[in-house]
Amino acid sequence: MSKIKRSISMYSLQDQYARGKMNLEDIFQYLNELNAGLELISDQMIKGTPDPSKEYLAEWDRLVSVYRPTLVCNDVFINTCLYKNRTLTLKESTDLLIKEIKLTSRLGFPMLRMVSNTPAGIIEPALPYAIENNVILTLEIHAGMSFDDPLTQDYIEVMKKLNSPYVGLTVDTGIFCKRHPRVSTNYFRELGTNEEVIQYIDRIFASGTDPKRYFAKKAVDGDKFPEDLKKLIKNNNDLEYALFSTGYEMSDYHILDEYIPYIKHIHGKIYEMTEEGVEYSISYDEIIDYLTKAGYEGYISTEYEGNRFTLPDHPIKDKENVYAHQMMMKKYLGE
Amino acid sequence: MFDTYVFTEGTCKNVISEGEAKGFQLQTLITYYRGIPCSMIHDIKVLVDGNEISREDIRFSPNGEDFFTLDELETVTTYKWEYGEQGTVYVVQPGGLSKGTHEVTLTITIRVAYIPVPFSGTRTRMVEIA
Repeated sequence: MSKIKRSISMYSLQDQYARGKMNLEDIFQYLNELNAGLELISDQMIKGTPDPSKEYLAEWDRLVSVYRPTLVCNDVFINTCLYKNRTLTLKESTDLLIKEIKLTSRLGFPMLRMVSNTPAGIIEPALPYAIENNVILTLEIHAGMSFDDPLTQDYIEVMKKLNSPYVGLTVDTGIFCKRHPRVSTNYFRELGTNEEVIQYIDRIFASGTDPKRYFAKKAVDGDKFPEDLKKLIKNNNDLEYALFSTGYEMSDYHILDEYIPYIKHIHGKIYEMTEEGVEYSISYDEIIDYLTKAGYEGYISTEYEGNRFTLPDHPIKDKENVYAHQMMMKKYLGE
Repeated sequence: MFDTYVFTEGTCKNVISEGEAKGFQLQTLITYYRGIPCSMIHDIKVLVDGNEISREDIRFSPNGEDFFTLDELETVTTYKWEYGEQGTVYVVQPGGLSKGTHEVTLTITIRVAYIPVPFSGTRTRMVEIA
């Protein structure tokens, strides 16, 4: 039996929150109904982050004491692009991370997730604060910016050097896409993306690899795309479609083998749960089987990204997709 | 991808002060999934009936109280544009929008650290000025 646990990322419910359909209290109730842990994005739902007001923190404490949510992870961002005319120095970025560590601890979370491309140089100087505040630092391994990304490699080098239980990885399952998400295809088709470009990308996936790897192999040095694809790109939507297609990777599960001791958290990416109750692009039965056999005992956090591919004024089926994914995981986890 | 959050329906109206319209305003949610310091708002563009409003005439407020020019926004690091909060875009235009129907387009561009280029959301609405 698997020891993997379920949680839900608030990325999934962003539209509910932005439109005022769900507040934090509604969300806590929703999580309890699904018996799922909370992955928060403090910049999203905690006003004034990383320095929320005392009143706001008091309200958080009240909700936590009433609903007793399982606090799994807080997603943070280091705003290195705070200024238009320069990038933050490592010292400035480190100071921001320390603030996020303190807030994450204050809110009651044992772990934070940094977004891909966070500068690796801020980890070592922030580590004493992570230890003092009992907060695990993780970098997200996200498709398009995953293991082959230079900034990710920098982080992994630091992580291995420090070899601390407080420094690890959050892996996003978007690196295990077997086909291009259909909701994204349909969205770009509606915007006017040419069928030739759509079919070109589908053929790459059908051939057993992903656009990022295929482009790297076939494009002339310095070019983003192979020549035959460049000829098909006729408008900006074609270009965006081709660019975004590199954000879905088709890695083998065993790419994680050497990182298993460092994997602290998993983002269970979903684009579209089908009527059959599975994710259209990602095979969760295989992922859960792999992770269980590898001894992973952390959480898989549902991260619904189909919201990005909904046309204006069309309903976003976020709660439906999250529910279906949670039910699917329950089944695979043998709950 | 974030267009759905731009330009909240029914928010475009003239702003009357001392009996006359000094300009007009419209509201919008952020084109992102979290709040950011205002300095990360990279650009705001407004088109009225196909004509672009000059940058100097645009103001932004994250809270409806304190307004900043686009040049000033570049250093506004302590005010956040919170997620789910309506930001107000104000256009200085003596007399405001004339009576009748106008085609108004709002574009919000922001910078975020892990995406190499600033990205935008845009939306056009037909606005009725009584």
